[in-house]
Amino acid sequence: MKGFAGKILKIDLSKKNFTMIETPKEWMGLYLGGDGFGTKLLYDNLPAKCDPLGEKNVIVISPCLFSGLPISTAGKTIFHFKSPLTDGYGESVMGGAIGAEIRQAGYDSIVITGKAKEPSYIYINDENIEIRSAKYLWGKNTRECPELIKKELKTTRILIACIGQGGENLVKFATVDCEDRQAGRSGVGTVMGAKNLKAVAVVGDKDIPIAHPQRIKELATEWVEKIKVHPTFAEDTKYGTGEFLEWMSNDRGTLPTRNWKQSQFEGNKTISPYYWAPKYSKKNKACLSCLKPCGQLFEITEGKYKGTAVDGPEYETLFSLGSCCGNSDIEALSKANELCDIYGIDTISAGGVIGFAMELYEKGILTEKDVGMKLNFGNSDAVPKMVEMIALRKGIGNVLAEGVKRASEKIGKGSENFAIHVKGQEPPAYDVRGIKGMGLAFATSPRGACHLRSGAYGLELTGKWWKFSGVDRFSSKNKGVEIKTMEDLMTVYDCLGVCKFSRHLFFLEGFPPIIEAVTGRKYTEDELLKVGERVNNLKKLINLREGFTKADDTLPKRIMSEPIPEGPAKGNYIKPEELEEMLDDYYKARGWDKEGVPSKEKLKELGML
Amino acid sequence: MTKILVPYPEKCTGCRFCEIICTLENDGVINSKKARLRIEKRGIRNDIPVVCTQCIACEENCCTNVCPVEAIYMENGVVRIDKDKCTSCGTCVETCPYGVIKIVDNCAVKCELCGGSPQCAKHCIIGALKFEEPVKERYLNVKKMIGVG
Repeated sequence: MKGFAGKILKIDLSKKNFTMIETPKEWMGLYLGGDGFGTKLLYDNLPAKCDPLGEKNVIVISPCLFSGLPISTAGKTIFHFKSPLTDGYGESVMGGAIGAEIRQAGYDSIVITGKAKEPSYIYINDENIEIRSAKYLWGKNTRECPELIKKELKTTRILIACIGQGGENLVKFATVDCEDRQAGRSGVGTVMGAKNLKAVAVVGDKDIPIAHPQRIKELATEWVEKIKVHPTFAEDTKYGTGEFLEWMSNDRGTLPTRNWKQSQFEGNKTISPYYWAPKYSKKNKACLSCLKPCGQLFEITEGKYKGTAVDGPEYETLFSLGSCCGNSDIEALSKANELCDIYGIDTISAGGVIGFAMELYEKGILTEKDVGMKLNFGNSDAVPKMVEMIALRKGIGNVLAEGVKRASEKIGKGSENFAIHVKGQEPPAYDVRGIKGMGLAFATSPRGACHLRSGAYGLELTGKWWKFSGVDRFSSKNKGVEIKTMEDLMTVYDCLGVCKFSRHLFFLEGFPPIIEAVTGRKYTEDELLKVGERVNNLKKLINLREGFTKADDTLPKRIMSEPIPEGPAKGNYIKPEELEEMLDDYYKARGWDKEGVPSKEKLKELGML
Repeated sequence: MTKILVPYPEKCTGCRFCEIICTLENDGVINSKKARLRIEKRGIRNDIPVVCTQCIACEENCCTNVCPVEAIYMENGVVRIDKDKCTSCGTCVETCPYGVIKIVDNCAVKCELCGGSPQCAKHCIIGALKFEEPVKERYLNVKKMIGVG
């Protein structure tokens, strides 16, 4: 079974022991690695309906099939767990290099169960596994913690994934950080915090097993040559993911603004990287093995936010801590981004919950006394302040740290009408009222609102991509096959660990030759999409086991009742009957019944029964 | 002057593609621990390519001076290791101020510039590693950044 270590490491924090199990041989064909392995391991190891913050929850950390290889933009690591935001299937992908290191240590995945009695961290050096005290690390942020571990272990050659104060304080959307790259979504850091697990530190000394090293080298060079001359290379590296922000606001009218009241932000110019990158970006930062680096080392050298240094801000963050809060001050925005990273909380959810609080403040549901400041939209300095209050659970931050869904339940007074979430997770930067296919994708994503499970926004907004053409973003017709196919395709990316910012490079046809060089096994494109479909069915089964129903495949009230007030997408919203129509179409495309339950025939066809 | 590897930390993104391609070229495997160079990360700001200076800037701590069996020699501006002579005693590994000599399969290995076409620089399209005529200060700067000497 080339391409795989053949071993899965299981660590029980309660019993302070570990076991190694053999990776089932058929998994390679069925699940490919990364997202596939992680989802399968979560399905097999997570007890139904357990408390996401209890000791029964599970964290699976998986390298992907291309992790650690010289395949540019393919360096992802993926986490699976039960999400404390959604109480269902949780997943979070990071660019941090710890996955490749896990692979070098000889494991296809790591499954962490139980709960440590006191703050601990896991140290892994190949077969040497220790659970060490992290008492002295508790309270340290995501930049301090790894430095201290390196000092303790007297090495700089170690990969450390850790939580900050956000995870320790059980902020529901806490992140895990590895070298300033985050597993941002769904509260994986919260689950680590609840397990008293401060960090996972890995050194691997082994070769990554691959079938045809020479062929991999040829492909590595081939792709670097292609990337270098690709038309997107210059812009992607110079401006990063925020490059299309102005277009989203001005041209498409789908940049969510002021807690999704609007979808055009008049302050978009100053938060666009076309403005800030030349001024603040000192150099590119990259994930492991990426030669199309979108990361920007953003530094502020003077003024009240002097000393700020952050890898970012990325497009989603420019929305969440920017337009969602009516904030056009890029310095305050970047400071807030840095604080999110350092404390270890998700920028998307943090901005979502701050925008939510700003709307409640303007509507008088929260007062200056409640929040301790004037919290109007556009109060830029309030954004970093609120991030700190949330991460440290100070004042109103203690309520907002629960995410918009739970915070609105606590606050009451009709605030639930302004809580923008799907399944409990705050959505990313696409006003789906004007991108209806993405609305369906938000509703069906198993981890709650998500742009990356389908990655269909580009195709919706431009009308064509890959196999699709003539797509009408304002229509709710014929979205089922489109979203199903895109979800399955993007899941292949997550199994391989390829960045979705590269989907216009690899599409699907780029993969079979690389997979063959890694594993020695031939895959057709259809087989790969089948893997994606299988994994997506498994994610659905996890949520069904957790008690989710069709009613959870829904959208925020605002999205389904308030038309976009201005701009190119003016007047659009997703009527409940349109969502119903799209869901019917999608379930049919998936071979699920009317309630969204996979049929026996479908599961049989996928080899899952 | 002979071309060698020259580091540009101000451009390095920290992607470590260079480490991976190095071992693939020289060992036929993927294992960054065997790489003849490394990217040292110091905080968010510094990603530092640490490479062999081929005797340009090691100053007193030069591997060619310390090898007890004289397995390390200079040839046309490249410091090479004679595999037949090497006893893998590790003296050079200890001495190298940049920490870029390794013991792989019971033999000391170091950057010998991939026979004149270093794969790391070839693939570093960002320009953090270049194959060009060296400037001594660039290596001394790296030394300072990683806190040696």
